[in-house]
Amino acid sequence: MVLIAVIMLYPFWVMIGTSLKSEAQFLSGGGFSWLSWKNLTATIPVGQEVLSSTIVCTASILIILAVGLPAGFAFAKLRFRASTVVFLVIVSAMMVPLQAILMPEFVNVTKLGLTGGYLGAIVVYAALGTPFSVFLFATYFRGVPDELIEAGIVDGLGYFGALWRLVVPIAIPAIATVTVLQFIQIWDDLLVGLLFIQNTSERPITVGLAVLAAGRTTSIPELMAGSLVSALPAMVVYLVFQRYLVKGLTMGIDR
Amino acid sequence: MADIDFDGVTKVYGDGPPAVDRLSLHIDDGEFMVLVGPSGCGKTTALRMLAGLEEISSGTLRIGGAVVNNTLPKDRDVAMVFQNYALYPHMSVAQNMGFALKIRGESKREIARKVEDAARILRLTEYLERRPKALSGGQRQRVAMGRAIVRSPQAFLMDEPLSNLDAKLRVEMRSEIARIQRLLSVATVYVTHDQVEAMTMGDRVAVLRDGQLQQVATPQDIYDRPANEFVAGFMGSPPMNLVPCQLRPGRSRVEVVVADQSIELPLGYADTHSLPEAGADVVLGVRPEDVLIADATGANVLKVRVERVEALGSEALVHLAWGEGGASSSRDARSRSFIAKVGPRVTFAPGDVVSVQVSPEHIHFFDAGTGISLRAGGR
Ligand SMILES: Nc1ncnc2c1ncn2[C@@H]1O[C@H](COP(=O)(O)OP(=O)(O)OP(=O)(O)O)[C@@H](O)[C@H]1O
Ligand SMILES: [Mg+2]
Repeated sequence: MVLIAVIMLYPFWVMIGTSLKSEAQFLSGGGFSWLSWKNLTATIPVGQEVLSSTIVCTASILIILAVGLPAGFAFAKLRFRASTVVFLVIVSAMMVPLQAILMPEFVNVTKLGLTGGYLGAIVVYAALGTPFSVFLFATYFRGVPDELIEAGIVDGLGYFGALWRLVVPIAIPAIATVTVLQFIQIWDDLLVGLLFIQNTSERPITVGLAVLAAGRTTSIPELMAGSLVSALPAMVVYLVFQRYLVKGLTMGIDR
Repeated sequence: MADIDFDGVTKVYGDGPPAVDRLSLHIDDGEFMVLVGPSGCGKTTALRMLAGLEEISSGTLRIGGAVVNNTLPKDRDVAMVFQNYALYPHMSVAQNMGFALKIRGESKREIARKVEDAARILRLTEYLERRPKALSGGQRQRVAMGRAIVRSPQAFLMDEPLSNLDAKLRVEMRSEIARIQRLLSVATVYVTHDQVEAMTMGDRVAVLRDGQLQQVATPQDIYDRPANEFVAGFMGSPPMNLVPCQLRPGRSRVEVVVADQSIELPLGYADTHSLPEAGADVVLGVRPEDVLIADATGANVLKVRVERVEALGSEALVHLAWGEGGASSSRDARSRSFIAKVGPRVTFAPGDVVSVQVSPEHIHFFDAGTGISLRAGGR
């Protein structure tokens, strides 16, 4: 465990160490300086970009959850015509790679006039993430006994009430899993952000970083600082949800 | 509180046979009705239609006089106890019990009072803050009961609520549930396939088979006057002996011919029983405890051989058979054998030939074709 931890954490350690040096100190190998961080904030609007990423991420995930939870519930618990077929179609949508639909999607979103700000990216991320979340929630909800929901319904709940007050509270592990996986994916994604968010003032951090690396600076410590800013939130989200996540990924085993 | 009325209620799943077939059954306000029958006979389906969890294919269902065919579960005001309890795992015992009241919008104070009252009745007071996971099976069962009784609903619906408990606890909860039901006097439909529960708990018992109601009556009536062969064979443990035989007019009385022996029925028997024509095939039914093993060689005894004796402590089951040993097929063997329930101290051994006697008032006759009881007045 310790060994694994060391191997996992070592790159971070190097990144932190490197970012806390000036260019000269980095080349000579010693010293400490905030210079790279200062330069970074001067070169690109880090705060603004992190905020953009956060907005896009949060909004996308909220949409994914808002659609995925009821849809997963419906597929798992309600009997309706052709539900299996529809479910398979949705699950197969999961297999379609991003690159394959990116251009048609771009055309669509452009036609809707959404390519300027956050909205286009949010729509695309939500559309990409929803099939997976529907699949995961449906699978998880199938493990929830029917009687639990029926007990709620006899106690006076409607289907949405049962979803919200009975199913969601016991689906925290599944929700955490979806949130973390989607957060990491969306936060780290460059392509969609690059294409769909064309206003420079609304650029997410990954795009900022790409711009940085594409010629604004050649300073390794400064790039490291930028990478840290970009990588850290995903780490934090992971650590916060980790407690639930483990349960989510092993669900079904200890039941 | 209200009465419940099934009027020709039918449930068909897909294009299969009806799971519940034209069920007509009235449950009085405050009555404890037990639905019993073999697995797959439609008990759960009937209960779920009553709860509103299953659509009704045809017929009319009324609660308190109002037709509820299309009423949503939440507007029916019935409480259900599930076989696996279905407690809400993320809530404490108190929250579980108060949940329906909370949805209904009752005040916190009111909810707390009702939950405490119910907890006292169910002896759950000290567990109110626990999660269901930290309770024993019996305690969970009581929480499920509590969730139903705090609501003071129109009716209680229970689907095999005791089947997940061990034997000892089951006996305890059996009388506990009966006690609480009497205390609250709410119409109750209780589903079970355990005949002891059916016999001991209900005011009346409804026996189902393949979705069709066979008989509704008090437990004792069901036991003493089964409406047909199925009910006779289903209720009682061991079940009623059912022996194919023939009726034959004797010198002055009707004779019953069993294999190569016969017994006579008393004079006037034919007046109180709608017996078929002489020579007809019928099925004779007699409860194991009504089979007397006698030394008597007098009239009206059958000579039989002891096959096996099962001592059960307080009583013994004697397996008897007639005719030559070594019946050709097992089906044949079954129709040639029957069981007597006698006191525990048995003096005979397998192979002995004994006489058995059955007093005529304990004999049941069923039509060999339809299985319907031939008692005058039918059911
Ligand atoms: N959802 C369903 N879809 C199709 N058929 C069903 C469904 N539920 C029940 N059935 C069928 O309806 C019939 C009655 O089932 P039901 O569950 O009411 O029986 P039961 O008397 O409760 O049996 P048990 O004692 O085993 O619980 C069975 O033949 C069953 O296969
Ligand atoms: Mg059942």
